[in-house]
Amino acid sequence: MRVLLIGVFHPEIVRGGAQQVCYELFEALQATPGIEPTLLAAIDPSCESLYKSGARITGFDGRPNEFLYLSREYDYWWHKSGNRLLHESFVEFLQLVQPEVVHFHHFMLLGLDLLTLTRRTLPNVRIVFTLHEFLGICAADGHMLRRNDRSLCRHASQVRCSQCFPGRRPEEFFMREMWVKRHFEAVDVFTTPSRFMIEHYVDWGLERDRIVHVTNGQRDYTGGHRLPASRGRHNRFGFFGQLVDDKGVWVLIEAVRQLRSEGFTDFVVEINGGNLQYASEARRAEIEAFQKEEEALPFEERRVFFLGSYAVDQLRQRMGRVDWCVVPSVWYETFALVISEAWMFGRPVIGSDVGAMAERIHHDKDGLLFGVGDSRALAETIRRACTEKGLWERLSGGIQAPPPREAMLEGMLDVYRDSASVQPGSTAVSSAVRPRSHRPRTAAMPEEAK
Amino acid sequence: MNDSSEDSKRNGASPPVFPPSWFDEEAYLLTHEDVAAGVACGAIHSGYEHYVTQGWLENRSVVFSRQAPHDQLYRWGVVEKDQPLPGAQGAKFRCNIELAVASGGGGLFVSGWIDDLESPLDTIRIVNSNWMFIFSVSDLVRVRRADVEKELGASHQHSYGFFGFCNTGDPLVVESVGCSFNIQRQDGSAEQTNVNIGRIGDVELRDLVLNYFAQAGFYGNRQVEAIRACGSGFGAQIAGFNRDVSRRLVRGAYTRNFGGTRPLRGSLMVCLYGKAEFVFLQNALFSGRPGFQDYEIIWVSNSPDLSERLLAEIEIAHSVYGVPQTAVLLPGNAGFGAANNAAASFAHSDRVIAINPDVFPKDLAWARKHTDLVDGLPAEQTRLFGAPLYYDDGSLMHGGMYFEFDTGVSLKADSVEDCRLVRVEHYGKGAPAASQRFTRPRPVPAVTGAFISCDRAWYEKLGGFSEDYIFGNYEDADLCLKSLQQGTPSWLHDLRLWHLEGKGSTRLPAHEGGWLVNRWLFADRWAKEIDHGLLGPNPTRLPGAGGEAVPSSSEDTAGTGN
Repeated sequence: MRVLLIGVFHPEIVRGGAQQVCYELFEALQATPGIEPTLLAAIDPSCESLYKSGARITGFDGRPNEFLYLSREYDYWWHKSGNRLLHESFVEFLQLVQPEVVHFHHFMLLGLDLLTLTRRTLPNVRIVFTLHEFLGICAADGHMLRRNDRSLCRHASQVRCSQCFPGRRPEEFFMREMWVKRHFEAVDVFTTPSRFMIEHYVDWGLERDRIVHVTNGQRDYTGGHRLPASRGRHNRFGFFGQLVDDKGVWVLIEAVRQLRSEGFTDFVVEINGGNLQYASEARRAEIEAFQKEEEALPFEERRVFFLGSYAVDQLRQRMGRVDWCVVPSVWYETFALVISEAWMFGRPVIGSDVGAMAERIHHDKDGLLFGVGDSRALAETIRRACTEKGLWERLSGGIQAPPPREAMLEGMLDVYRDSASVQPGSTAVSSAVRPRSHRPRTAAMPEEAK
Repeated sequence: MNDSSEDSKRNGASPPVFPPSWFDEEAYLLTHEDVAAGVACGAIHSGYEHYVTQGWLENRSVVFSRQAPHDQLYRWGVVEKDQPLPGAQGAKFRCNIELAVASGGGGLFVSGWIDDLESPLDTIRIVNSNWMFIFSVSDLVRVRRADVEKELGASHQHSYGFFGFCNTGDPLVVESVGCSFNIQRQDGSAEQTNVNIGRIGDVELRDLVLNYFAQAGFYGNRQVEAIRACGSGFGAQIAGFNRDVSRRLVRGAYTRNFGGTRPLRGSLMVCLYGKAEFVFLQNALFSGRPGFQDYEIIWVSNSPDLSERLLAEIEIAHSVYGVPQTAVLLPGNAGFGAANNAAASFAHSDRVIAINPDVFPKDLAWARKHTDLVDGLPAEQTRLFGAPLYYDDGSLMHGGMYFEFDTGVSLKADSVEDCRLVRVEHYGKGAPAASQRFTRPRPVPAVTGAFISCDRAWYEKLGGFSEDYIFGNYEDADLCLKSLQQGTPSWLHDLRLWHLEGKGSTRLPAHEGGWLVNRWLFADRWAKEIDHGLLGPNPTRLPGAGGEAVPSSSEDTAGTGN
């Protein structure tokens, strides 16, 4: 079976969850007999050195079956390119590769219309789309986090969306929804890494029977060696992720301030991650000011240490320095790979009680949940984690191994094969027969054909 | 500049009117970063537009190109602000020609002011070595000039300003040495001055005149007085000039066909202005729906600056969606009527459908239903018809149009007079979606140009849309009234479409001037006809148009229109 994986960015060019998962799947498919995978990763003009003159699609670093899509003239509002040569090259690439399955991991930098163009070029191909966030529903980075009041959004509408973008009229969001849904019609099956996402998309208008839950999976980063359990007090906390607003590092900082104000200082927090430059100006200033204050303190009074960004092969060392992993994201997340990474190393996770965190972490069994965005609740949870005897051991002992790469592979293969084991609207495990040929879909549009 | 001075300037001084070619766009954007940012994100159309509407009120610095005649800028007050208004103190009377511009197509525009309180202005005689032209007082529109009133210390309400426009029809050879302007009052007193007449393009002159008109001041109700001023001859002159300009633009059209020329069942004609994204949006949302495989799209662009992008988008759209389509690119804004008439000439079907770029299918099977309607109903019910259009919130935008009169009063020097203006109204605006009263099939006085389906032969017999209206207003109602006049009323059939009104194009100051002229022209052309049984939501000539039950005895009248 020839499978073409199409995603945004290559993880070795720009790091990010969607590209990491896409590449993990590509590697797994390469190792699977009978599968011929090809990877096409979109990059943007910021990767100038990789843009070859006159080329629209090129190879990547001498690797067989890995290609770069050199995106140009990209419209981030409508999510399409205005460069007709890109469309021509894409059609030619499809015709050369002749995939039986085209698996999109994103439409960013590629364009929503490539979904329809794929269907038009290869009418019988199976098109799979993995939803890594809510960008189809939500123009605000696909996070469904309202820009006007920073509350979590449960459903989109033209008026609600225009409140997040004061310069834009409701009609623009109405058009955007029709535009996105029109191209989603070309997709046979959507997959989501978390179950809760299915409800968001069904509420938005996507048919439940076109969505399948397939977990993300990662290779084992431990090298087969689980970190030894820490001894004595379990008062070391680690944040792993980008320092952007929605990852919520500011909630953790406020919790530290809260604990200090209460006189509780018997703990350490290590911040692992970078990209502070992508945080909002206000949050960046807040975090920088805190870091400066912290670093000005005598060493014995410092409680928070900024360790900077890290590579996957440094995870073992960084995880070894902490007892708990804190995931204070203020948006839903859609899988939170960091939870899997913490679990690989036997570290219980303290996470926000929404979205992927709430779905994956079992409160008081393998981790702890606190109210999303509530720094006081996080402070109380940290204090409990530091002081409750036997808690760390109990929760650490409750951790199940995170989904391995093979679980994702098997789930996706079932979807690719249109397998009887795929049950739409649920995890790809039980029986239901899916139509093999593509049928045009219109159910998500504002009004049914009559 | 503080608010009070800005307000006084807004209320008093003459608007800055000069052609874009005299304006250094690049320098303006470099100097004013906020304007450049606005242009970059599309919030502002151009630096020129910003200056003439807002920047001059804020005293923004501006650079003029070399071709701008310095003496006119001085007279107009751009170059040396805060100088006394020109007009020699020792003359018989004070006056000034501030702007004189001509175009190759024969348009001639003059503006200025005169102290003629004691003896009214009679004529302005323009003498060149090759030609002579006389503006009589009836050719000139008098406008309020608060700056002149202040300069003269005037205590009476009097319109000291004037402007005149003539479509001479002949290319005017303009010499750089200038023309002699003889300004004569009715008592025989006269002043003479030499003025260099600026030479600009026809499109630029049209836009300049409309821009000036849109911003001119009047005593009394500004809109009423402006529309009345059109009746002085100015309206006919600028409308005629615009028609000539539009026809020249259409003759210069560039066309490219994508997807063959097989016979089809319907041709969507989409007139584009200012925005290119509707090409891919309409392609995406119309294609692949039941029945649409027998339709094509003809894009006609009134925005030459978008030409390259439109061609690229149409080519991409054709490859993605497979809809046969044709690009008709005009070298300037020829207006809605001329653009659609040009598009109709490229149709590969016997059914032309004028549709706005911001109209999308609500009923996804609309095309199949449209074809069935045309095939199945009596011809007189489908020669020309529209459809209910809906807002994005789901409520009805309108289900047909009817006519009302607005009555204003016009202030004369010695009297107050009635002024009747036609207003186009819409049935069921904002009504619940399922308001059958407004959505049911019936003859109506008119339908909106946002969606008009017309038998092509009938369209051609009617002469298509009138090309007399400037840019785009009233052509739809005009076409419907022409059809009614020739025996076939417009119908409304229940094909449901979204209309995201106001998102289709950018409205510029000159459009406002065009709208004023159009409103005068429509009333001038159709007021009597409307008075004859077509007034109001329940016109006697079209029983049932308003949605109420139709007495069976009147059924025979439906479809005849007379």
